Amino acid sequence: MPIAILMILLLLPAQSWAGGLWGSEGQDVARVQVTEAYLSWRTGPASGYPVFHTSEKGEWLTILQRKTNWIKVMDSRGREGWVSVADLAQTVDVTGETVSLQVPDLDSFGKRRAEAGLMMGEFDGAAVMAGYGGLWLTRNLSAELWGSQILGSASEIRMVNGNLVHQPFPDWRISPFFTLGIGHIWVEPKASLAQPEERDNSIGHAGLGIRAYITDRYFIRAEVKDYKVFTTRSTNEEATEWKIGLSIFF
Amino acid sequence: MENRTKHLFLKPLCLAAGLCTAAAGQAQEDRPLIEPDVTPVPVTEALIDTENFEIGAFVGVLNIEDFESSLLYGGKLTYHLSESFFFEAGVGFAEGGETSFEKLAGDVEVLTDSERDYSYYNINLGYNVLPGEAFLTENYAFNTNFYLIAGAGATEFAGDTRFTLNAGAGYQVLLTDSVSVHFGVRQHFYDIDVLGEEKTSVNTEVSTGLSVFF
Repeated sequence: MPIAILMILLLLPAQSWAGGLWGSEGQDVARVQVTEAYLSWRTGPASGYPVFHTSEKGEWLTILQRKTNWIKVMDSRGREGWVSVADLAQTVDVTGETVSLQVPDLDSFGKRRAEAGLMMGEFDGAAVMAGYGGLWLTRNLSAELWGSQILGSASEIRMVNGNLVHQPFPDWRISPFFTLGIGHIWVEPKASLAQPEERDNSIGHAGLGIRAYITDRYFIRAEVKDYKVFTTRSTNEEATEWKIGLSIFF
Repeated sequence: MENRTKHLFLKPLCLAAGLCTAAAGQAQEDRPLIEPDVTPVPVTEALIDTENFEIGAFVGVLNIEDFESSLLYGGKLTYHLSESFFFEAGVGFAEGGETSFEKLAGDVEVLTDSERDYSYYNINLGYNVLPGEAFLTENYAFNTNFYLIAGAGATEFAGDTRFTLNAGAGYQVLLTDSVSVHFGVRQHFYDIDVLGEEKTSVNTEVSTGLSVFF
């Protein structure tokens, strides 16, 4: 407990120091004027926090920072609180224009330029964890880069893949896609096995899946891929993988 | 007489003074009353400091099944998707001790020293179930979050890398909008066969950490 108090005490001067370090002064100040009848202030950046104050129509507010879909504002008397981005989008700035802050919706999902996500599932009976990032080349076509780790009872597999993804219906809330790609696989047998033999091979894969938009800037992605491992032996190996995960888009 | 002389001189003087102030007043009206100290800029996304990422370090105790308890330290990176959901990627390092068998038998070693090094990574999804406030004094409150978190990753211990699930809960106290303290409890689950038959090892982590939003 004394350590916890000490940590808190040590941090107190750090706040003022941090402000100076990142130069919060001398930058352009974002100020907005309330145009609706009132604007609710909450004590924290979530709808669970209580409303403790309201701004009247015509009042000027200074924007301090943003966390997810909440914005911290300060009024002319130095009071601070959190307002929702949706409410703040009803204000005007010093140029008299409506503030152009948007909460991502289905429309922005259809127009996304980049996405990234984490997925989990099964690769040939073993657990797989994967992360990816993708860039949209057109509204239908994107290029992706994947990294996967597969932990089976007999081996640990690492896999890197690059692939192209085609979605025929970019405007649909639940949008199917097809994918085709190549990559490389590293197989490391478990230490407890009698004859551990490391190997690495090139792979090719094809798959299909769906993206389902939930809300804000995230969506669920699920897919099935069929991998072909190009071995030096007379036959190639095959593996089927399914994964499900959560992605964000920008 | 004196009065008339005063009148004679004061009248033009007053007139002149009056004209001067009027002229001065007109000149002033052309300029704004208060010079703005900020240049008018339209409010855009780029102008607002968005702090959805959080980076932190933690220290605690990890109870490694069959291999005693160990000091645990690590780091994590969090991305807040919304006010409720967040992604968290974490790494942790600990060291396994001796099994009861090794202690009783004396000169036996189940694992080598390097095999006792314990490290894990995990990727988790968290959910803020109870956003709240902790009142320090009459006038000061800290925002808090009680969250549930679960995910998967890998643990490297006893010579192998094992698929590991983890689940737990945490309490976050925001000292400022950018700095917070975490208190957490996690359970890590993986299958291991180092001591005979394969079994699910359940390891408990209790930790506390500091994090900074950016």
